[in-house]
Amino acid sequence: MASTAIRRMAVAALAAAGIVGSMAAQAAEDPIKLGAVYIRSGSASSYGEFAEQGMKLAIEQINDNGGVLGRQLEYEIEDSQGNSGTAIQAMRKLVYQENVDALMGIDSSGVAQGVASTVPQLQKPLIITHAATPDVTGKMCNDYVYRISVNIIQNMRGAAEIAAESGAKRWTTIGPDYAFGRQSWDFFSEALKEKNPDAELMSETAFPRFGAEEFTPFINSIMDADPDGVLISLWGGDLVNFVRQASDMGFFDEDIEVMFTVGAATEVLDALGDKMPEGVWLGTRYWFDAYDNETNRDFVAAYKERYDKAPSYNAEGAYAAVYAYKAAMEKAGTTDGPKVAEALSGMSFDSPMGEITFRAGDHQTLVGPTWGKAGPMDDEFGIRSLTDVHVFDGKDVTPAVEETGCSL
Amino acid sequence: MKNAIVLIVLAAVLAGLVALPWVAPYFYIFLGTEVLILGLFAASFNLVFGYSGMLSFGHAAFYGIGAYATALILLHLEWPFLACLVVAMGAGALLALVIGFLSVRLDEVYFAMLTLAFGMMVFAVAHQWRSVTNGSDGIAGFMLGDFAPGVDWSLGDPAVYYHVVLGVVVVAAAVLYLICRSSFGLILRAIRQNPERVSFCGLDVRRYRLAAFTVAGAFAGLSGALMAPFLRVASPEMLHWSMSAEPVLMSILGGTGYFLGPFFGAAIFVLLESWITGFTDAWMLVLGVMLALMVMFFRRGVLGTLLDWVQGNHD
Repeated sequence: MASTAIRRMAVAALAAAGIVGSMAAQAAEDPIKLGAVYIRSGSASSYGEFAEQGMKLAIEQINDNGGVLGRQLEYEIEDSQGNSGTAIQAMRKLVYQENVDALMGIDSSGVAQGVASTVPQLQKPLIITHAATPDVTGKMCNDYVYRISVNIIQNMRGAAEIAAESGAKRWTTIGPDYAFGRQSWDFFSEALKEKNPDAELMSETAFPRFGAEEFTPFINSIMDADPDGVLISLWGGDLVNFVRQASDMGFFDEDIEVMFTVGAATEVLDALGDKMPEGVWLGTRYWFDAYDNETNRDFVAAYKERYDKAPSYNAEGAYAAVYAYKAAMEKAGTTDGPKVAEALSGMSFDSPMGEITFRAGDHQTLVGPTWGKAGPMDDEFGIRSLTDVHVFDGKDVTPAVEETGCSL
Repeated sequence: MKNAIVLIVLAAVLAGLVALPWVAPYFYIFLGTEVLILGLFAASFNLVFGYSGMLSFGHAAFYGIGAYATALILLHLEWPFLACLVVAMGAGALLALVIGFLSVRLDEVYFAMLTLAFGMMVFAVAHQWRSVTNGSDGIAGFMLGDFAPGVDWSLGDPAVYYHVVLGVVVVAAAVLYLICRSSFGLILRAIRQNPERVSFCGLDVRRYRLAAFTVAGAFAGLSGALMAPFLRVASPEMLHWSMSAEPVLMSILGGTGYFLGPFFGAAIFVLLESWITGFTDAWMLVLGVMLALMVMFFRRGVLGTLLDWVQGNHD
């Protein structure tokens, strides 16, 4: 009796060892999983769609070329609903349930502020590919959070140069009523005052709720205030609705210098077509036609072939983030969260915007915005082209680490 | 005999909940925490709805004020967590007393509309008072310190926080249960069934309703206080009327006629949401269909239907 029991236990133990052994062998073959959190519902859902396309494209390209560390890449994507509580829950689900190796995404500055402090607990790096608040690479920075895309300060320093050149004196703003709209105006004001001390920053500003849909009263009050220039930081469905309503009200016929801080998002240009008025200034974190390098040419061509669209800055950010993780995992020689996070620091890699570096001091890449005037329709993509294009160098528009409030 | 079975089942469930961090995948700690907090929120709502017969659409106001109170205290004063819970309960009760004082005089749809209006007023304040509430971005970046003065349980650890939430929710649920079972609770049920008759007995219906509303507000505030550190943010969405709808859905889903119905509904709600969003973004559509079916065919909720079935009571 006893010997049978012992034999059974021995068999069971051997079987268990066999299972564990095969699991260990399998682990090397298992794909590396990236977890993404983007807006996938509501008025800005097209941003999440473009980001997923960029991400997918990079993953397919990498897998076709042998993967990362000999393993294939996979991804899981979750909806943030533009809400930080939901985004935090989604990140926990990705890390603990889906067992992803690294995190990326985050569309809104408000969401980024909410999630930044929770990332170290997850022990996985997060590359922010869209949200632009300087705080997450400033006073809220930490070892695990990186940003690959242009932040608000970088964009507003470029914007201020254009605004100073335009000669317009009295400036006001229309922006979404949360961190992004407020901080865009604050940093624009600061940068413009430096470039042009004569500029007047008006107290009559308009901050409609994000997702407001009805902008008429705000457009009215701004037109009544009679400014020379208006900085507009609306984005997503808000921006599309705003442009349609402002056109109907004759806003663009007034003698006003109009600057859309993220107006050259191809999601928006795609939705508006020729309804985007000619002659307004459009900013963007990345413009597909502005970078003359091989990586960018390949990216734009592959994106066009796959999706028949011009890649937006959100698509580019997601695409570049996948390649950043490839480089970091190869540098670290592992997918271990803390080690990959460490490898990203100070790392340079090839992106469609050229070779870019995650600065070790604050984890922000040294990148600059592109600004241009809405020109004739681009027949290839059915969107407005950009004329009078200014591509700002990241080195010229990024504050020194000491000024960011980040200490790492 | 029946009571013994109920007690055994309850003890088994409780033991399972205590053991959850060791037996379930790590992610279930988060789902478990959310179920417990939302269950308490829904149970506090059911005191007003299921027991007293008043459909409030502003219950998120008390939940949200508890969350904001906790976030603000942790951010600016760095008090122990226990103190936050007490303050949040007080804040929820006080706000409920004020809103209730103005609302309980009305019945049915007028009461629902009035609570909805007051709830959205609180939402608007949180949304627009940027200097205090940080507007639509909400309050984030606060740290959890000690549980009580000198009692450092490292609340930042999700498993520890789960156990703290479990302890608080069990105690709160027990208190709430005793309230429901007391003569006060009996009078509330009598009011739901026939307010005229209760007032003919010489009882002040309005005062009882206000008391129920205030107690519910206190426990909703407590659930909000538990949620803010879990989500690491107190945001205006927590005060929005759609948040007020969640306990309504959970109570109906679980069964309004049972004390544990709302907890049961919260568990179904959270677990289904997590599973369904795994393969489709259309979670709300699935929920809508389920609710329609519940209301049409299973009025007693999942828990009620289940109990009927177990007891062989197919009427």
